[in-house]
Amino acid sequence: MAKETFSKVEASLKSRYRRERRFQVFGLGAIFLGLLFVSLLFLNIISNGYGAFLQTHIVLDVHFAPEIIDPQDKADVNPQILAQADYRQLVRQPLREMFPEVTGRRDKRKLYRLLSSGASFQVREMVLSDPGLIGQSRRVSLIADDDVDVIVKGHVTREDAIQRFGEAYVGWIENLVEAGRLEKRFNWGFFLNGDSREPELAGIGGAVTGSFYTLLVTLLLSFPIGVAAAIYLEEFAPQNRWTDIIEVNINNLAAVPSIVFGLLGLAMFINLFGLPRSAPLVGGLVLTLMTLPTIIIASRAALKSVPPSIREAALGVGASKMQMVFHHVLPLALPGMLTGTIIGMAQALGETAPLLMIGMVAFIVDIPGGPLDPSSVLPVQVYLWADSPERAFVERTSAAIMVLLAFLIAMNTLAIILRRRFERRW
Amino acid sequence: MFRKALTAAFSVALMVTSASAAARDYVSIVGSSTVYPFATVVAEQFGKISRFKTPKVESTGSGGGLKLFCAGIGIEHPDIANASRRIKRSEQDKCAKNGINEIIEIKVGYDGIVLANARTTERFELTRKDIFLALAKQVPGKDGKLIDNPYKTWREVNADLPNTKIEVLGPPPTSGTRDAFVELAMEGGAKKFADLKALRQAKGRAVKPLMAKLGIPASAFNKKGKKVFKAVAHAIREDGAYIEAGENDNLIIQKLMANPKAIGIFGYSFLDQNADKVQGAIVDGERPTFENIADGAYPVSRALFFYVKKAHVGKVPGIKAYLTEFTADKAWGDEGYLTDKGLIPMPAAERAQFADDARSLQPMDTL
Amino acid sequence: MQIPMLLIVLLGFLALAYHLGRARALDAVGGGSGMRKLHSLPSYYGLYVALWVLLPALTILFLWSVLQDVYIVDMVVAQLPQAMQDLPEAQLGLIVNDIRNLASGNIVSGEPSADIRAAADHLLELQGIANMAKTVVVLAFAIIAGTFAWRAINPSMRARNRVEWIVKGLLILSSMVAIMTTIGIVLSVVFESIRFFSKIPFTDFIFGLAWSPQTALRADQVGASGAFGAIPLLVGTLLISFIAMLVAVPIGLMAAIYLSEYAGPKLRGFAKPVLEILAGIPTVVYGFFAALTVAPMIRTLGESVGLEVASESALAAGLVMGIMIIPFVSSLSDDVINAVPQSLRDASYGLGATRSETIRQVILPAALPGIMGGVLLAVSRAIGETMIVVMAAGLSANLTVNPLEAVTTVTVQIVTLLVGDQEFDSAKTLAAFALGLMLFVVTLGLNIIALHIVRKYREQYD
Repeated sequence: MAKETFSKVEASLKSRYRRERRFQVFGLGAIFLGLLFVSLLFLNIISNGYGAFLQTHIVLDVHFAPEIIDPQDKADVNPQILAQADYRQLVRQPLREMFPEVTGRRDKRKLYRLLSSGASFQVREMVLSDPGLIGQSRRVSLIADDDVDVIVKGHVTREDAIQRFGEAYVGWIENLVEAGRLEKRFNWGFFLNGDSREPELAGIGGAVTGSFYTLLVTLLLSFPIGVAAAIYLEEFAPQNRWTDIIEVNINNLAAVPSIVFGLLGLAMFINLFGLPRSAPLVGGLVLTLMTLPTIIIASRAALKSVPPSIREAALGVGASKMQMVFHHVLPLALPGMLTGTIIGMAQALGETAPLLMIGMVAFIVDIPGGPLDPSSVLPVQVYLWADSPERAFVERTSAAIMVLLAFLIAMNTLAIILRRRFERRW
Repeated sequence: MFRKALTAAFSVALMVTSASAAARDYVSIVGSSTVYPFATVVAEQFGKISRFKTPKVESTGSGGGLKLFCAGIGIEHPDIANASRRIKRSEQDKCAKNGINEIIEIKVGYDGIVLANARTTERFELTRKDIFLALAKQVPGKDGKLIDNPYKTWREVNADLPNTKIEVLGPPPTSGTRDAFVELAMEGGAKKFADLKALRQAKGRAVKPLMAKLGIPASAFNKKGKKVFKAVAHAIREDGAYIEAGENDNLIIQKLMANPKAIGIFGYSFLDQNADKVQGAIVDGERPTFENIADGAYPVSRALFFYVKKAHVGKVPGIKAYLTEFTADKAWGDEGYLTDKGLIPMPAAERAQFADDARSLQPMDTL
Repeated sequence: MQIPMLLIVLLGFLALAYHLGRARALDAVGGGSGMRKLHSLPSYYGLYVALWVLLPALTILFLWSVLQDVYIVDMVVAQLPQAMQDLPEAQLGLIVNDIRNLASGNIVSGEPSADIRAAADHLLELQGIANMAKTVVVLAFAIIAGTFAWRAINPSMRARNRVEWIVKGLLILSSMVAIMTTIGIVLSVVFESIRFFSKIPFTDFIFGLAWSPQTALRADQVGASGAFGAIPLLVGTLLISFIAMLVAVPIGLMAAIYLSEYAGPKLRGFAKPVLEILAGIPTVVYGFFAALTVAPMIRTLGESVGLEVASESALAAGLVMGIMIIPFVSSLSDDVINAVPQSLRDASYGLGATRSETIRQVILPAALPGIMGGVLLAVSRAIGETMIVVMAAGLSANLTVNPLEAVTTVTVQIVTLLVGDQEFDSAKTLAAFALGLMLFVVTLGLNIIALHIVRKYREQYD
């Protein structure tokens, strides 16, 4: 009898081990797939976006001709003259000299399109900051048009470029390359400028500022409220129906789709209270409501992890309940609460959908100066650029995503460090 | 409890309204997605050069934009509405009802409406009749009576056309592009049918027999045959062949790239900017080119406008300066920066006239 | 004094009040040695006075700030020439805007008239007076209330209890915010939905098979009949969610099993946080990835084997959404699997089962309810996900379950209906709220069931 069982087991062992191995392979495969997706995503974004940190410039010898800037020599009397002069002439002059064979009006216009419309503003800034330049010549690196940028960086093939921009245009660019007149510089504008219709001038400065104000409002509201609510629910609330309802409700809110919070913001804050559209204040309010559950749940977990012995010890030496919470439990739970808050803030930073509902998708160039100015936020900027037709925006969208991810990774790392350093195991 | 909640809500509302009562110091612009690229470029230039703040531009569609524009006077309402068609009488009435009696009308330039597909396939060669047959909700059947559009492929519409499914991505009714498209292309196509053309010209008693001939139910009767005609010509099929693709013209381009069998309907400026990806169909033998649209040879072209609330001029800072920037030759002239973005400029005389209107803030007449 | 300055001064007062209250309590019992005679610690007396300084003053400041502007503008308007005052309210509002801009030193349009200039000066003057008065009143209130509280201090006063009572009140208030949020959500979607259902019958919405929200914007517009049947949207949403779950559940579950049952600490320490990165990536990034990389890839792939794939196939959006949800499923299942008591595993090994047999026949059945709860939560997340589908799914409402065709979802329609147009009377915008209500109800139901299951399950082994 026993022998029979043994032989049965032995006979099946091979296939059982095979199944075991297969199961393991499946498990490893799943993890491998997950890691593959992460690396694919990052590779895709980085390979698309790293180019945007460099911007092609055209080096030209600009003559700050007084007859163009200040023909009547009255700048001393009226400084407005300097601000309103036609600087386009200044930057076009050296291009014409470089390509004297270009004569027709149409061709000339095409030639001028090598330079960004921002180039004349570059020269303008130079003159305004140093009027002494007038009458002199300088070698200046001027921002090139996004089409030049795209061609120089090789994002379109030569054939495509010729088909789209014409043979002459591509030829000019090749001439400039040969003459060493093209250089790539670090793209400061990308970090400092506001949005623009011209990819070469567009930057995330405005969006980052908008995100900053939005998160500031969110943090100022959600941290104190979240912590206070957690303290009440964990330490003071009596066990009854009412607190049960609150608890279930918070757990549910954490899983409500973010777009529903957008609907709330639209109906309440904008239509009922008449707050301005597109303002970081409203965005911050909506995101506060959205991140509150996260913070409350994390804070409650942090409070829970403080062992009861601490509480009993405090009560035992005569502390009131409030003293016990604020003097002993809260300091011990604070790192955990901060970690939860940072994670909540990271969530809020990446949130897009509810902000679309409250009008933060407008074209806004100026960098917002406060939480009531119209502004956009970083993820919405990504959304807007992802929709733009100019090819150069693909690169910039990816670069903006890189910046966004860098912020998020930094925040999460901070949260992990905080947890490692301050969280005690009891 | 309830009363307490009410008072709390009230005080919050008060606080909030006082916050929003803060002054607005930038121009607020809404409206057509076709004018949007031009308006944003002007706004950006204007913000850089002038001492004023950069205007805020939102793309809401012509209809949606004019609706917001006409909602009232005051800083919470936009100052300028872009439109890819002329303002309608009904909209003017709505404006007037809300106290907006003086509107300055500025024509920006021209734009052609193109039907385009991806470059990877062959260029379409259509007539307006083809367009009507492919997209109308009801078309004349064999017996001359209107029937629900039976055509599934382009070949069924016209034997010269390719044998692919009719799949057109177009703008929704809020869009000026849609208005202009139905007026120029669909009406133009419908007029090719003798009975429909007769209906358009008919008045009074002559309308009824024509309607009976076409099989239009008597409930649709109107003394003016033109109205009945419009109801037929403007109705676009809703069985899936025509896909509303939202106000975002960029999105349509992306979708066309991905689906070479589809045709997209949008403004010429988008075709111009994406000439490496999509190609415009030939309509009635004319290609949608800059020259053909400017001289009116291309049949489906329209004018672009923007409308300014005169009551806001001088109250919201920067409106007048924005008008000056927009109507300067360096912006909308033959070689201005707007033509770089695909705008087709008006003749010099027309430009001068509208620039003059802008300077003198001459309000438009009631249509 | 400006508000920030005022707040700083108040802060100073606060410190002073704290100090004074504390000192008085100590004085009353003859210094530190008599502290035992006090009911509470001296600092509570200080806090008590400080709270009395702060709370009334803040309330007054708040109310004053709310009302000040309204009254001042009224007074400025009253000073305007009669002709201007007689203008309709909206026009008057514009003039007030001009005055404000002028007064706050902003750029104004054109040359302001003498009247406006005078009004702006008047406004500035009034604001100056009002700010001065505000400062005086707020500070006076702070002082008076503080003095009263200070004078009331005596050794038998239950200062600690009073302070704690106020603090507790604030804590309760904070915990109410979550309830208020839910009420706010329900109210804001329900009211607009009711208005929607007064235009479109409820049954048409719930059972309608066609979705084409083209309603006429103007009276003279034709060709826009409008159909508001939510079924195609629902089917589209479920199709995309289903594809997402097909990706996320096997991968997430297997990853969790491997990590918790097989993996050594090294792999676990590396793979877990990397997988969690997927959860932290903003959805707009996934949307960009789906629209730009995955959708074209699937399309070329499909065409190479002769399949017709729509550019915005449900497959692309579903796949990417699945990737997003993997860590969600894996971390929830990880928790659940770890909660299965070791004794069950030991018993199974003792009977001679292999690891995979133990997992399949003991651990998974034991963990099943918890895993189901996690999966339901993931489904609710997939249904409510917005950005991926806005950027990668279609807009046309096809009633199909073919994953290669384009479908649209509830969230996509909410966004397209609402972005840009803020008028609140057409069925079109109201429909967005009806969809929002539907979304809220569905996800709420799923969440409640899921959380209930998970909770029940946890209790089983605790």
